[in-house]
Amino acid sequence: MIKFEKFSLDNGLKFIVHNDPSTTIVAFNVLYNVGSRDENPDRTGFAHLFEHLMFEGSKNIPSYDTPLQKVGGENNAFTSNDITNYYITVPKENMETAFWLESDRMLGLDFSERKLEIQKDVVIEEFNQRYLNQPYGDAFLLLRPLAYKVHPYLWPTIGKDISHIRDANITNVKNFFNHHYAPNNAIVCVAGNVTKSEVQLLAEKWFSDIPKKEIESRDLKKEPPQKEARILTVERNVPFKAIYKAFHMSSKYKREYYVTDLISDLLANGKSSRLYQNLVKSKRLFSEINAYITGDIDPGLFIINGKLMKKVGFDEAEEAIRSELEQIIDGNFMDYEVEKVKNKFESVYQFSQLSTLNKAMSLSYFELLEDAEIINQEIDKYRSVQREEIVKVASKLFKTENSSTLYYLPKN
Amino acid sequence: MNLNRKVHPEYRTIKNINIPVPAILKLDNGIPTYVINAGTQDVIKIDIQFNAGNWYQTKPTIARTTNEMLLEGTQNLSSQEIAEKLDFYGAFIHPQPTKDFANIALYTLKKYLRETIKILEEIIKYPTFPENELDTYLAKHKQKFLIELEKITNLARREFNEQLFGKTHPYGAKVEIEDYDNISKNDLLDFHKKFYNSNNCKIILSGKVDDKDIQLVNQHFGKESWNYQTEIKDPRFDFPAHVKKELIVEKKDVTQSAIRLGKIIINNDHTDYHKLNVVNTILGGYFGSRLMKKIREDKGYTYGINSVLVTFKNTGYFVILSEVGADVTKMAVDDILTEVKKLREKIVPNDELELVKNYMLGDLLRSFDGAFEIASSFKPVIELELNLNYYKKQIETIKSITPDEIIAIANKYLHENTLAKTIVGKYN
Repeated sequence: MIKFEKFSLDNGLKFIVHNDPSTTIVAFNVLYNVGSRDENPDRTGFAHLFEHLMFEGSKNIPSYDTPLQKVGGENNAFTSNDITNYYITVPKENMETAFWLESDRMLGLDFSERKLEIQKDVVIEEFNQRYLNQPYGDAFLLLRPLAYKVHPYLWPTIGKDISHIRDANITNVKNFFNHHYAPNNAIVCVAGNVTKSEVQLLAEKWFSDIPKKEIESRDLKKEPPQKEARILTVERNVPFKAIYKAFHMSSKYKREYYVTDLISDLLANGKSSRLYQNLVKSKRLFSEINAYITGDIDPGLFIINGKLMKKVGFDEAEEAIRSELEQIIDGNFMDYEVEKVKNKFESVYQFSQLSTLNKAMSLSYFELLEDAEIINQEIDKYRSVQREEIVKVASKLFKTENSSTLYYLPKN
Repeated sequence: MNLNRKVHPEYRTIKNINIPVPAILKLDNGIPTYVINAGTQDVIKIDIQFNAGNWYQTKPTIARTTNEMLLEGTQNLSSQEIAEKLDFYGAFIHPQPTKDFANIALYTLKKYLRETIKILEEIIKYPTFPENELDTYLAKHKQKFLIELEKITNLARREFNEQLFGKTHPYGAKVEIEDYDNISKNDLLDFHKKFYNSNNCKIILSGKVDDKDIQLVNQHFGKESWNYQTEIKDPRFDFPAHVKKELIVEKKDVTQSAIRLGKIIINNDHTDYHKLNVVNTILGGYFGSRLMKKIREDKGYTYGINSVLVTFKNTGYFVILSEVGADVTKMAVDDILTEVKKLREKIVPNDELELVKNYMLGDLLRSFDGAFEIASSFKPVIELELNLNYYKKQIETIKSITPDEIIAIANKYLHENTLAKTIVGKYN
């Protein structure tokens, strides 16, 4: 049970305070309700490029990192399809520095054209390093637009193409800030050996004069139900064949989401899981195989990906995956297995609570979804899933016409 | 309210860091056991370490394969049964083979320790390395190996280590694909017999640990000697007399080059180590480092660059590593070397040194925040049998080091002309 308190400022900025007296470090997490799904389809990769620019100087503070390092702090950030999340850990006695830095960059940025150009280069190198110069690195650049036709999940957070990043200019970057970065579009969580009243005092001091902005409500195109199976085969410089399969699943708000997550665990969580035991070990068809959900807020994807053993063909591999999915659809699994994956969820959940920063991130995220309180309902949600639901959700999920499949073929 | 946003609000430099020192005890059979009781969550971690890394193997990959195959079958449990039980209790066992050591870590909920420690005991004392499991393991790892070889960063690491330590030295030897064809069940049984012994072993117990947990550990690992060996061989190896200065591996069709620059250097039982660590942090040890500022934030050549001091049991090495745009590789290397040279020639400005000191102290604070963090901070200290006041000394050094000492250390250890260079990608 994670206890916390909440308050809001007049400008709409929400605060969550979690008291953890066991630590000398304070975690300061700021979640902005903007992700790559909010980008213009012709200017993708912006939310992420913007995350980089948030470190390049704000209205009154020329360097973000230096003052924080000076007080023993550390920070980083990530961008997903749904959110942009910035986080700091800092010794308790210096937590005001976090309030100062985060409030100033919420107030306004002040980076030069030159810094924009450099960060574009840095992001292009990130694109190279993670997506292009890696075997199978472009999988999601290919799979997303296969699975999605209209919803903005069709591009990854890095962007559709390097050219979108190269063409970014200071005007459209500033526009992005004005449209999405505002106190009424953010959630802050402060976790550590802190009380609500000390946080409130500092929050009023540093954040209350940041003006509210008009935030356009999100109106994203809904992905229509997929009617037929989609297949894409590519030839690449890779040593082995690989399969990436995506099935459309429910949004995070639906109970189905949790059921689907448990299905992925039945199939592939841990070495006792079905895909590993049957396809990697007994039948030796794959050198590795995985199943997981993308974890998005809007309807996301259930992914299965595997690398084939050298002499195995796509047909044989496909058939083996199919038969594993049929087993779930037909209810050919034991109650014991369901119990096992639920136990494992609970255990992983407990381990994740060891980190104050993790707790701060989760509280912010659940507050965005609905209410931070649902962090305490997660275990019950998974625990309450019934075998009948698993069968029902699997039958819908694993329909062939709901699938998009990417095949990697080695060039030589 | 009149708020001056231009001025950094009041802050304090970190004065005291509470470094909990592990309690040391011996199990009945003499195994040294370090206990860190901390944290509020009901979780426990057991680290068991053996002097059983690459250093001790007589054939390539035997040490690693032995370590990773422990989970694949024992006298009383099949590979699948082990996996089932661990998953059922939501526990994890991670084998962690290194060049010098073989580590096995168990993460478990405290309420299930009684069950999960039995599995740990089985895999450590009674592994059988079944042939069919070994076949699967090797087939799988051969493929993974070939995939890893496609990544320029891995190629650079292989070449660089060999360049520094030589083809036959355990710190430098490269694994080749054929090596996987020369491993037999008997090799593993033999290696296990020789090195996984109660008299070649240390245990670290961390989390919410009480006397009952310690008794459980004693019951499973401490009652009597197991797999006792009268003589455990500790071989010696020579370093290469001559290190090749430059190694370029050309790769076509790459968008980036992988860079490694470095040299053999002192490890962390040397008196200069803590000072060298400060110098390394200034150069490339944190996000605001000189290399990050120059190569990423000023030039935009890379997504990331850092420098690292790697400690082995019998030596250490220093390395600068990055992946940079293929067409700017040469310029990046030149800029890196200029930064290294600057450390030797120009006195470090006071404000930069202050910043690095505070950053490092904050970082230490973070690395002792939580039971498992404390355990992993002490792991290398315990492995190398250093004094447990290691971190106290480090804090003293960070607080007291002067710009003059920094320049002296840089000149003593980090002359830019002494760095060996490996480039995989393009270099012209």
